Amino acid sequence: MNGNGEMDVTRAPSLANRRRLALRRFAQKMDRPVFFALGLVSLVTLGVIFVFVVREAIPVFRYVSPSSLLGPAWHPTSEPPLFGALPMIVATGLVTLGALVLAIPLGFASAGFVAEIAPPALRDLAKSLLELLAAIPSVVYGFFGLTVVAPLVQRTFNLPTGQNGLSASLILALMALPTVASLAEDALTAVPKVHREASLALGASRWQTTWRVVFPSAFSGLFGAAVLGMGRAVGETMAVLMVAGNSPALTWSFLRPVRTLTAGIALEMAEAPSGSAHYHALFMLGAILLLIALATNGLAEWFRGRVARQGE
Amino acid sequence: MKKLHIWSSLLLGLALLGVAFPAAGSDEVTYKGSTTVLPIAGLLSEALAPNVVFSVQGGGSGTGIAAIIDGTTDIAGSSRYMKLEEFEKAVANGVMPYVWEVAIDTLAIVVHPSNPIEQITYEDLRRIYFGEVTNWSVLGGPDMPIVVVSRDTSSGTYGTFKEVVLENQEVTDGALFQSSNGAMATTVASTPGAIGYVGLGYLQPSLRTLLLAKTAEGPFVGASVETALSLEYPLSRPLFMITNGYPQGAVARVIRFALSDEGQRLVLEAGYAPIRALSE
Amino acid sequence: MNERSSFSLGVRAPQSSSCQVEPILRVSNLSLWYGKQQALRSATLSFPVCRATAVIGPSGCGKSTLIRSLNRMNDLVPHLRIEGEVLFHGQDIYVRDADPVEVRRRIGMVFQKPNPFPKSIYENVAFGLRVNGLKDHLDDRVENALHRAALWDEVKDHLRKKSGFDLSGGQQQRLCLARALAVEPEVLLMDEPCSALDPVATAKIEDLIQELKKEMTIVIVTHNMQQAARVSDETAFLLLGELVEFAPTEQLFTRPSDPRTEAYITGKFG
Repeated sequence: MNGNGEMDVTRAPSLANRRRLALRRFAQKMDRPVFFALGLVSLVTLGVIFVFVVREAIPVFRYVSPSSLLGPAWHPTSEPPLFGALPMIVATGLVTLGALVLAIPLGFASAGFVAEIAPPALRDLAKSLLELLAAIPSVVYGFFGLTVVAPLVQRTFNLPTGQNGLSASLILALMALPTVASLAEDALTAVPKVHREASLALGASRWQTTWRVVFPSAFSGLFGAAVLGMGRAVGETMAVLMVAGNSPALTWSFLRPVRTLTAGIALEMAEAPSGSAHYHALFMLGAILLLIALATNGLAEWFRGRVARQGE
Repeated sequence: MKKLHIWSSLLLGLALLGVAFPAAGSDEVTYKGSTTVLPIAGLLSEALAPNVVFSVQGGGSGTGIAAIIDGTTDIAGSSRYMKLEEFEKAVANGVMPYVWEVAIDTLAIVVHPSNPIEQITYEDLRRIYFGEVTNWSVLGGPDMPIVVVSRDTSSGTYGTFKEVVLENQEVTDGALFQSSNGAMATTVASTPGAIGYVGLGYLQPSLRTLLLAKTAEGPFVGASVETALSLEYPLSRPLFMITNGYPQGAVARVIRFALSDEGQRLVLEAGYAPIRALSE
Repeated sequence: MNERSSFSLGVRAPQSSSCQVEPILRVSNLSLWYGKQQALRSATLSFPVCRATAVIGPSGCGKSTLIRSLNRMNDLVPHLRIEGEVLFHGQDIYVRDADPVEVRRRIGMVFQKPNPFPKSIYENVAFGLRVNGLKDHLDDRVENALHRAALWDEVKDHLRKKSGFDLSGGQQQRLCLARALAVEPEVLLMDEPCSALDPVATAKIEDLIQELKKEMTIVIVTHNMQQAARVSDETAFLLLGELVEFAPTEQLFTRPSDPRTEAYITGKFG
């Protein structure tokens, strides 16, 4: 303001400058505690959720044995109640697997197209299209699945009903696609240009460069994209609830109605009287879901660490 | 660090206060509960605005009743009567529930329009919903697997169906479970082998309504406002609104309006039967 | 553009045989624009077989642009416009049906900073062979290329165990050289190959250039005039996108014909 920068030490700093300096010093001193506090908040939140879910889940053992939780029948209101979560665990795995088998190749391919091959105009179009896909609420996906995908699956495979694991996988793949594709695209874009140049200069085609150099170099980022896509698929409730059919019967088939863990909780939480065996059993489903999420993330971290060590 | 804690807890406390004490003085009434009663509550809300702000929210009968017990809603909607435990819990919580019958719901048994079956009995429904009969040919229909469609077990509609038709036994594991009347209607309308049940308000031309009788001797009756009012149709049930204590102020205005002739015409409009014959 | 003759690289020049003196690569009236900015102004020069040609000039003079247009590496740059011809064996590499992939295989390149792939040493060298379908005698070809880059003795014990990243900077650059040599290019373009290296590593690369130019054509961009004087037979001096002078190296450094060249080599600017 007076034309002198703060570097001018020959003059005593003006009051305004002194205040500005004090403020900056304060900000510099505060940034570590603030970030620490924010990090702590998310950690504590996670811990609180975990403790709460587990605490509400444990009392179910007053009614049934731990091993019976992996039983094949879920009859929460019969006498005595059966809380076999196996059908829902299997269904969650099945539907997630199906979604990933579709979403990962498709997501990686579209990322490869957007990052490596598409001309700029097409790239922008494809990217905004993906963002649009990500912005659609899950209930809309569910409605689309219920009215379009499920009848289509039913006619194609000549089934009694199209509300089954396959329809759920298709919808989930569509929902996980933007996550997988945009994260994969980030990973591909982050591969240094010099790798591409080196490959091209050796007489590799664009396709060979993408496939043999860019993709392997981006492995850890691509892996992260796949894991987050998986998280999206495992955790989705609404859309699955609308298209999977929600039969609690145990099945390993994609062509039969299935009930996932999330759908199971959503379907029954409202009816379960607070504090009842059924209520605790539903929290146990939540704990299982949490465990699956932690296990996959842990496994992914471990795997990624191993690969990174090999790459060194 | 310590200062930070004090500030954040102060902020959090203020936020919580805001939740606990909504702006007093305005004529605001909340509804939570049965999705079956929801269309009625919705129409009442439109008619009452702007004198009373009647905000409505679904969630199922159980949710609604839990909310009235917790004191988090003014009016609970339910498609079943309160259970004894719920009553006891309410009283223990210092809540005295008053239950008002506002409409008669009628559950229609529906199939895909291409299905030639015309009538069905409670006994047939039990065999179908217990998974004992799995093909329409057994009931004189075409050779086609039956797709059993049920509402989710937390819905009041399911509760009534289970209690009245299934004699409180569980639906087969092989059934499809739909989380709303709308999803049920869409599923049955798009699945040739399907059978399901929906509230009268959700009947549509893309569904075929079956004539229903308790036993094979009949009489077989179609679901309609008239047959519900005349008590000829077997599968009908009262719908309730529940208040905490005898209604006062704005809550009383809502209940009184629901029970008035004007309110009961809205019940008709929502697709349910009114609780009494209405003068034209 | 369209009336240009169709392009074919069907005839492959004899590889390790005697070197002819006629130019293998000729640049004729080459102009180049990045968007609206002109980076090369109608440059004409030729690169004879079995010679090393140095391209010198101050930063931003268009040295890299010129060398990158010799194997179509500039294709990756958006909004690029080129006029004039780059003739390889007498045929323009910029005509529509010229295959940039084949051009780049026959005109190899080593970059400013060592850029090995995040793969093993062996796979780094084998990469070009694999993508070009040269999969027979792979081990021999890899070994041969590492010998030519004078790297074999240093890496032969951990070809498959060590990543290209595990090597020192100088070794990495020789690995990149081996990688380029493995596909047996006729021309080798080197874009300031020693700028990231220490003097010892630089000397090794310069020795290699002396060896390699006995059997192939080398074009080296450098900002280091001593290096140009040491390794090259001919030198081109570029200034602001213009080819100021192109002459035998000794002549250019001792008796420059253009006053701007003289000013540059005597250190008046740059």
